Amino acid sequence: MNESEYQYWRETGWRRPLHADEEARLQSYLASHPEARTDWESEVGLSQWLGQLPDAPLPSNFTAQVLQAVDREEAAARRRVSLGERWAQLVRRAVPRLAWACVILALAILGIRQHQIYTHDKMAKGLIQVTEAADLKDPAVFKDFEAILRLGQMPPPADVELDVALNELSK
Amino acid sequence: MSKVTDPDAALMLRVKRGERAAFEELVEKYKQPVMNLVFRTVRDLTEAEDLTQHVFLQVFKSAHRYEVSAKFSTWLFTIARNLCLNELRRRSRHPADSLDEPAPDHEDQPLRQVEDAKTFTPPEALLHGELEEKIDAALAELPEKQRTAILLCREGELSYEDIAKVLACSLSATKSLIHRGRETLKQKLKPYLATGAWRGSPD
Repeated sequence: MNESEYQYWRETGWRRPLHADEEARLQSYLASHPEARTDWESEVGLSQWLGQLPDAPLPSNFTAQVLQAVDREEAAARRRVSLGERWAQLVRRAVPRLAWACVILALAILGIRQHQIYTHDKMAKGLIQVTEAADLKDPAVFKDFEAILRLGQMPPPADVELDVALNELSK
Repeated sequence: MSKVTDPDAALMLRVKRGERAAFEELVEKYKQPVMNLVFRTVRDLTEAEDLTQHVFLQVFKSAHRYEVSAKFSTWLFTIARNLCLNELRRRSRHPADSLDEPAPDHEDQPLRQVEDAKTFTPPEALLHGELEEKIDAALAELPEKQRTAILLCREGELSYEDIAKVLACSLSATKSLIHRGRETLKQKLKPYLATGAWRGSPD
C-alpha cells in the first residue's frame, strides 16, 4: 500500500467505518508506517465523534405540520387563482361598459369643445366689429349727416314750390 | 422513457403527479438529515424547525418542474443549504436575539426546551455532553462550506460527487474542504482526541 492508497482509506473513513478487509489492509500499512498511526487514530476518533453527534430534536408531528403547511400553500394558491379569475371576469364585464362610457365622454367633450369654438368665434366677430367702430371718424362729422344724406335725393316739395314762385317773379 | 434508478427521484416524480403519500414518504425519510444540517448551520432550534419545514414546502412547490437530472437528495440538500444561506444573510442584515435565549421573566430557562431522548449515567453524561458541546462549538466556528461538507459527509447519504454538486464546487475542492475542516476540528479537539475519550463513548 502506498501513500495515495492510505489517502483513499482516509477519505473512505470520513464517510463510513472501514470494512474488515479494508481495516486489515490499512493496519498492515500502519505497521510499516508507524508515523501515520497517530493521524489515523485521530481521524477515526473524529469520525466517531461526528457520527455520534445527536440528531437535532424534531417534534413528533413534524410531518403533519409540513403537510398542513402544504395545504395552506395550496389554499393560498387557489385563492390567488380565484382572485385573478374574479379580476379577469370583472375586466371582461367592465370593458364594453367602459367603451360606451368612453364614447359618450368623447362625444360630450367634442360637443363642449364645439360650443366653445362657436362662442369664441362669436366673441371674436363682436370684437372685430368693436375694433372697426373704434376706427370711425369723430361723431362731430355727422352733425349735418341728415342734410348731407338728402343732398342727392329729390328736392322737397316746398323747395320746388319756392323755386316755381321765384321763377314767376323773375318773369 | 428512461428508467429512474434513484428511488427517491421516483417518489418525487410521483409527487409531481400529485401523490401526497409519496411526498409524505420523502418528508419522513429526510426530515432528520435536513434538520441536522439546518440546525447545525443556523444554530437556533425554532428557526431550524421553520427552515426545515420551508425546505419541504419548497420541494412540494417545485415538484411540477422537477426533472431527474441528479439524485433527489442532492437537490434536496441544495435547497436546504440555499435556504440556510439566505437565513444567515438575513441575520447579518437584521441581527436579532435568538429565541433560545432565556426569557426575561424566566431568566434561567430557555424559551424552548426539548427533552433529550438519550439517557446516560451522570459521569458518562458529563463527558459526553462536554464532548458534544466542544464538537458543536468547533463545527460552528468552521467556514460554512467546510462545515456543510463535513455534515453532509457525516450523513453518509451523499457521495463526494453529490456533496460537490450541493456545494457547487469541484470534487477535488470538496475533498480539500473536508480535509481542511477536519484538520481544524482535530486541532481544536486535540486534548480530547489525545485522551482517547472517543473509544469509550456510547454507541
